[in-house]
Amino acid sequence: MIAGFTLIHDVTLADRRILEGGNFFDYIWVGAKHMLTGYDHLLFLLGVVFFLTSIKDIVRFITAFTIGHSITLIGATSIQFGVNEFIIDAIIGLSVFYKGFENLDLFKKWLGIAAPNLLYMVFLFGLIHGLGLSARLQGMTQVSELSFLKTIGFNLGVELGQILALIPMVWLINFWRKRSNFGALFKAVNTYLLVAGIVLLVIQLKHFFEH
Amino acid sequence: MKRLSYFLFSFFSLALLSSHDLYLKLDSYFLEPNTTSALQLFNGTFDRSENVIDRDRMLDVSIAYAGQRIQAAQQDWFEKDSITYLTITTEGEGTYVAGVSTKPRVLSMSAEDFNDYLEHDGVLDVLESRQENDQLNDAATEEYSKHVKSIFQVGKTRSSDYGVQFGYPIEFVALNNPYDLHPGEEFRTQLLFQDAPLANQLVYLGYQPPALTHTHDGSTHTHEQDQDHEHSDLIPYRTDENGELNVALDKPGVWYLRTIHLVDSNEEGLTHQSNWATLTFAVADYHQHEDSSLVYLYILGSLLFIGILYFVFSTKKA
Repeated sequence: MIAGFTLIHDVTLADRRILEGGNFFDYIWVGAKHMLTGYDHLLFLLGVVFFLTSIKDIVRFITAFTIGHSITLIGATSIQFGVNEFIIDAIIGLSVFYKGFENLDLFKKWLGIAAPNLLYMVFLFGLIHGLGLSARLQGMTQVSELSFLKTIGFNLGVELGQILALIPMVWLINFWRKRSNFGALFKAVNTYLLVAGIVLLVIQLKHFFEH
Repeated sequence: MKRLSYFLFSFFSLALLSSHDLYLKLDSYFLEPNTTSALQLFNGTFDRSENVIDRDRMLDVSIAYAGQRIQAAQQDWFEKDSITYLTITTEGEGTYVAGVSTKPRVLSMSAEDFNDYLEHDGVLDVLESRQENDQLNDAATEEYSKHVKSIFQVGKTRSSDYGVQFGYPIEFVALNNPYDLHPGEEFRTQLLFQDAPLANQLVYLGYQPPALTHTHDGSTHTHEQDQDHEHSDLIPYRTDENGELNVALDKPGVWYLRTIHLVDSNEEGLTHQSNWATLTFAVADYHQHEDSSLVYLYILGSLLFIGILYFVFSTKKA
């Protein structure tokens, strides 16, 4: 299970082949695929949408996350800003833990304080997730081959992948919300986010110190 | 600096097509323990072998693993088309190094042929020296020998054998294990000539993308490349005062280093002596060390974990 976490961003050789000399649409495809197979991004999004009941709120929070990761994904890639993949993935793991912690109201229960403004935090974590996406994009292809348009294509793919992932997530949560045992599912999933976030953090830090 | 590298590289990408380097290669540099595979000796370019190496030319054929050095047996060699193969059977997990050293041969060349060879094979220091000393019209008789190594990984456990020194007249000795590296990290090596560090020596770094080597039906093979694609990543470097070289390996795939150390000779009947060295190895993809079946185990484990938690919380509530 632990080793499985290291595969959350599996960049396949097939993806590299697609991107070598790939066009705008190839970048959209790989961006979407990357988002749909990026467990850590999806776990964070799952945590974000768990408490949201209206479409208006979902759009508001997902927009904040999207703006955040688009800024850093496009910005960092454009200026070839490199971050250590392990460190940024460790922080992304921490964001998953944070969302579970916040959803379970542990700020109040354990720390006796109110949770920080969720919209700001989602935007902040969006910035961090974008740095992770940028690091992956820069690692997947030669920076000299990366044009602004291709970066936009990859970002667009990420958004499409995000929408595709959110549709079944929101549907399933709303389906379960009407059932009497939603509370148990809510606790189970958010406790899992706490554990998964910590394991992600530890694994990525282990990789960082090893390499 | 990068522009200069690209310029030089473009120049050599065309020029080196006709070179006669020797490379020790594998279809896959990631092998499993107790399996049989074939080391390939390419005599020509990295991508195309033009002729086989006679066995009586081989002074040494060694494989280093687990602190031991094993000499390959004559019967393990075979030739097919223009490639010489050595059948090997891996033992335990670890980093292995294979090496081949050939006997010297002598070749006489006209001044024009010699100048062309220096230019095409990137022996630019000697060419420059000939220009400066007004020797471009001098014919040459060169004694040359080739000494090649390959580092490959068996299983997952890495070992310190990567840094083995075979004692060849010239050889690359790895200072860190390439199988510990991920794309973007630096490979360090030292070039030794007559067991001493060789400073300020021109070394070329080449790359073959992993797309050209892949697996079908359980067997790994390499696709033929078109000529235009050869040496597409050849980059010139120079060793430092300790004979050391740090090269950034920015992509997964097969990487190789090549150098030709050519000096004037005072031996009777010779004008020059050269020793050629290459080193091949691979850099794994970021996740190549991991077992993909673990993804499914992770998903199932996660669902099971959530299921157990759900059961616990449901029971508590009831």
